[in-house]
Amino acid sequence: MSRISFKVTGAQGQGINSVGEMVAKGLKRAGHHVFGYREYMSVIKGGHSSYQLDICDSHIESSETHVDILVCLNYIGLQRDLGSVKEGGVLLHLIPDWKFSAEDQKMLDDKKIQILYLPMEKILKEHNSRPIVGNMCVTAVVWGLLGRNYDTLKDMAAEQFAHKGEKVIALNHTFIDEGKKFKEESAGAIVIDVPSPDAARTDDLLVTGSEAMGMGMVHAGCRMYCGYPMTPASPLLKYIADNQNKTNMVVKQAEDEITAIQMVSGAMHMGTRAATATSGGGYDLMSETLSLNGIIENPSVMVLAMRQGPSTGLPTWSGQGDMLLSIFGSHGEYPRLVMAVSDSQDCFDLMPDAFNYAEEYQLPVTILTDKHIAEGLYMQPQYDLKKAKISRGNLVTKQAELDKLVSADRYNPAAKDGISPRWLPGAKAATYCAQGDEHDSEGNVEEGGQNAIEQMDKRMKKMAVMKAALPDPELFGDQNPETLIVSWGSNKGCILDAIKDQKGIGYLHYSYLWPLRIEKLEALAAKAKKIIFIEATYQGHLSKLIRMESGLTFDHQILKYDGRPFFFDELQGKLLTMNN
Amino acid sequence: MSISLESTGKPSVHDYFCKTECTWCDGCGDYGIMAAAKRALVELEIAPHEVLMCFDIGCHGNASDKMLGYRVHGLHGRVLPFASGAKLANPNMPVLAFGGDGASFSEGVNHLVHSVRSHYPITFVLHNNANFGLTQGQASSLTWQNQPMNTSPNGIPEDTINPMDFIFSLQPTFVARTWSGDIPQMTKVLKAAIKHRGFAFVDILQACPTYNKFATHEWLLEHCYDANADGHDASDFEAAKKIACDTSKKVSCGILYQTEDHPHFYEKLVPRQGIKTTVVDEVAITDVSELMKEFV
Repeated sequence: MSRISFKVTGAQGQGINSVGEMVAKGLKRAGHHVFGYREYMSVIKGGHSSYQLDICDSHIESSETHVDILVCLNYIGLQRDLGSVKEGGVLLHLIPDWKFSAEDQKMLDDKKIQILYLPMEKILKEHNSRPIVGNMCVTAVVWGLLGRNYDTLKDMAAEQFAHKGEKVIALNHTFIDEGKKFKEESAGAIVIDVPSPDAARTDDLLVTGSEAMGMGMVHAGCRMYCGYPMTPASPLLKYIADNQNKTNMVVKQAEDEITAIQMVSGAMHMGTRAATATSGGGYDLMSETLSLNGIIENPSVMVLAMRQGPSTGLPTWSGQGDMLLSIFGSHGEYPRLVMAVSDSQDCFDLMPDAFNYAEEYQLPVTILTDKHIAEGLYMQPQYDLKKAKISRGNLVTKQAELDKLVSADRYNPAAKDGISPRWLPGAKAATYCAQGDEHDSEGNVEEGGQNAIEQMDKRMKKMAVMKAALPDPELFGDQNPETLIVSWGSNKGCILDAIKDQKGIGYLHYSYLWPLRIEKLEALAAKAKKIIFIEATYQGHLSKLIRMESGLTFDHQILKYDGRPFFFDELQGKLLTMNN
Repeated sequence: MSISLESTGKPSVHDYFCKTECTWCDGCGDYGIMAAAKRALVELEIAPHEVLMCFDIGCHGNASDKMLGYRVHGLHGRVLPFASGAKLANPNMPVLAFGGDGASFSEGVNHLVHSVRSHYPITFVLHNNANFGLTQGQASSLTWQNQPMNTSPNGIPEDTINPMDFIFSLQPTFVARTWSGDIPQMTKVLKAAIKHRGFAFVDILQACPTYNKFATHEWLLEHCYDANADGHDASDFEAAKKIACDTSKKVSCGILYQTEDHPHFYEKLVPRQGIKTTVVDEVAITDVSELMKEFV
């Protein structure tokens, strides 16, 4: 496997994403495999942020710690990020008269790093232009360093600025020419080889996990979305809201997270498919409502987009530390499904499943994602739109069947598998109460002990039935592994990249976390010589859950809780050490 | 607000009858309020299966299993967002939300603020007995000054909220006040509220014989008067606000303010213009090939 990477760093608001996204799109359209990764701080302007693009000769879903090309739009990158340039790499910066410290200069010399100073201030002055246009020049230099054709870049600029008119397009073309001139005059000989493309993937999508999830929800028949802004759940709200005039969905930015989940619950109770998303803090606020949906057996779907740390923690960074919260948080005992997406494929494919499970088993479904997935840029084969089926479980809509219903059918503890018929407000049928107090079959408040047992048994029976119906965790890599890796969520991308083509290593990936299926894991663990557990938490949540459910323990754990995702070279190194 | 569901035969109060025994104290205002709610629905020819009634937690919430109809008994303070979410999913269905003054002016006061300003087309019935009854008579933010209550034996150190001043500050489109001893007036008000175009706020002053020793049934009987019969012009915002807020001598009741000129939330949703179906009708696997094009 051959891979390279480049990173743009600068202050938020300087337009680093525009450089990264333009290069990503250009490479993708030529069939190169790319993966984009953003780091940024919780501020609107300023702060120090970066956009990294990794490019590979096969499918890729991870980033490296070191890059072949580092672009610094401001001096902070020159102080902080120098160490991340690979030996023989290129450093491109825009800072006039910059003097490296003696120590930095030695490091740059030792690593034979080529330093390019792009006189952006001068170029902007010559064209009497605003700094933001300069990013097109930077893009052009990177484009040249990657040995690309400048005409392709010009076509993309024309496409991107088509809505702004000819003048803006012409200006951007001028800055592409400036970049080309600089590249040819100052760095003529330097070309970083781009790993070979795959012609079959030129029509792929370039999507973030949030966009993929948004499309997946629309595909799944989700017709209403309520959300309260919170990173890293906000990009999903933004995607859904931005597209409301195309999808005709009801979109509501709620006054708080409790409102968002309550509105979703009301809408689902009424019979549509609705969803909300939040991060850990918002989930805390929503959890009481999940419990309500548990007892009234109301389907609901919510996304918990995780970030690192307690309280506000690291609000724009990634982590998996809310997993046990999503399983055990919220009061009382009630059935629920917790599932986790891992990349842009899951983000789309699992949305119909999430709604189907919610409706089939009439319970709250939590979908875990994280900042790394939500804002990661994936190269995604076009989605198969024929695959998903809608399943609404025991929803009764035909009048002949509605006529037969009595109120007591709604929560009758004798219902097969604990799953009652469900019918919607407005249906011409016997009415019932969706009762948040413990209740009898009709939803009347009932505090008797025997009734409490029967109703709890009824509800929890659904968990057992659902567990039997859920897919097993999926085994990737060696199908008869000596070394078995177990993990979930966004770690999958990096793990698969790290074990690619390695014999003897298999990766068991969990998409469904609660209820937890352990038979396949136990069978594989019995044969494996070594089991390695990987998670972006301090405590190793899934390992604790597995131990609780099966008694199985892990001798080797790779845990990480610095807010950063697992990086390709970092994980590969750790696995190598562990496997020797 | 349109009630487009087809009624089949005229419903009667008996259709709402539920065998569950009532558990309110003797003399509780909830008896009268729920009788009026049923009467209003019946007089509007809304059958039990044609209405969604959402209840908060509190004494009034125990009405959730004392009458038929599609009902929800949810969480404390949260009845408004549940009810409005349900309404937006199916705007053809009349939705009523019932909540006490504890839930609505403490735990869930933010929802009240945003429900009024959002103009959700639902009816909100405030069971205003000026205390937390179900948890045994603690003071709410509507409890009068200098009233010893459970957990505030010296009266409350906080100021009392004037609920009408609060509501009128939010530019409401329907404000009514009535009281639990006047079933005909409550019925009239509730019918108007259910038919109202937007968010209807109905403040029902409610006797709580066990814990409210100040605004008793007798006190309300003495002080409440029918402002509509008294010639009040319910289209006059300033006049309505004035008689609504000042309860120092007598308490104005009836429909205090109403305008049908303001579009409600759903009417303002651009993506829903001209669409006849509801989002409940639209649940299906949806083609997203157009959406995918943006990313190629």
